[in-house]
Amino acid sequence: MSSVMRAIWDNTYGLLVDDGQLAVGAIVALAITWVIAHSGADIISENSGWVLLGLVLALVLANLYRAGRNARRRIG
Amino acid sequence: MDLATIAIAATPAFLASAVEFVEATTIVLAVGITRGWRAPLVGSALSALTLALIVGTLGVAIVTVVPEHLLLGIVGTLLLLFGLRWLRKAVLRFAGIVALHDEEEIYRREVAELRAQGVARDRWDWIGMIVAYKAVLLEGTEVAFIVIAFGAKGVSAMNAAILGAIAAGIIVIAVAAVLRSPLTAVPENLLKFGVGAMLSTFGVFWFGEGVGAEWPGDAASIPLILGSFLLASWLAVRLLNGLLPEGARVEARNV
Repeated sequence: MSSVMRAIWDNTYGLLVDDGQLAVGAIVALAITWVIAHSGADIISENSGWVLLGLVLALVLANLYRAGRNARRRIG
Repeated sequence: MDLATIAIAATPAFLASAVEFVEATTIVLAVGITRGWRAPLVGSALSALTLALIVGTLGVAIVTVVPEHLLLGIVGTLLLLFGLRWLRKAVLRFAGIVALHDEEEIYRREVAELRAQGVARDRWDWIGMIVAYKAVLLEGTEVAFIVIAFGAKGVSAMNAAILGAIAAGIIVIAVAAVLRSPLTAVPENLLKFGVGAMLSTFGVFWFGEGVGAEWPGDAASIPLILGSFLLASWLAVRLLNGLLPEGARVEARNV
């Protein structure tokens, strides 16, 4: 039974996560957006979607830059 | 809902599912050609039944039971994680850091492995059935996830997503049945790039809606969000190309 649960967990994890840091970063970006949407003024709350987009784009670029630097280090 | 509206609503699920169906078809083809068709076809059919059960129970339960705002938040989170995973890998492939996905190579490897195991013609081919069942179930789980995610907005969205996935399955299987070879002509890497950006876009859009954000023009904001993801990805490919020394791209693969 535990091996079945383990296989389901592994598959689900693999479906959603390729790079742990990117996944954690995305969760943090979503959490920040949720906090902004629920605690800020109306104008901030209404625009929280754009905040999320900005955070995610910055996260993607930073994560890929790190991956590129790691690749360069391994080649060198 | 008229035909054009259904087609537009079904397109994201169609494109995303097509990529998964191409990958599953490669394995089923390899099994069928090396070990005979009966067992892999039975394995694929059993897998399709399992997936229909997953979508039919989980999908319908989610759409009808979970409150809309919570549902959008959950689906947005899952779509964003799923989409970013695809987008990251696609950018790394286009930058030459990860090897491009090669259906021909996967097919050859699978055929060699299956031939090495040998076939007993007088007995039921359990290996062939299990390999096909697992391949279709694995790729199909992603299709089920895509259908549930794109269909989470309501009954009509769910119907459109199911229609898109079924259409993708029929087209891919029909073409593979005619060609009897892996579908290498499908620009899979480019499709994955687009689908990754699309899934991430819907993830951001729906999570935003879930927490009460106002998107100008509602769904009219989607092309703008998608454009932002594509632009960022293009910038990332250029950035990575600049980071790696000239001529080092091939050596950098698979690191």
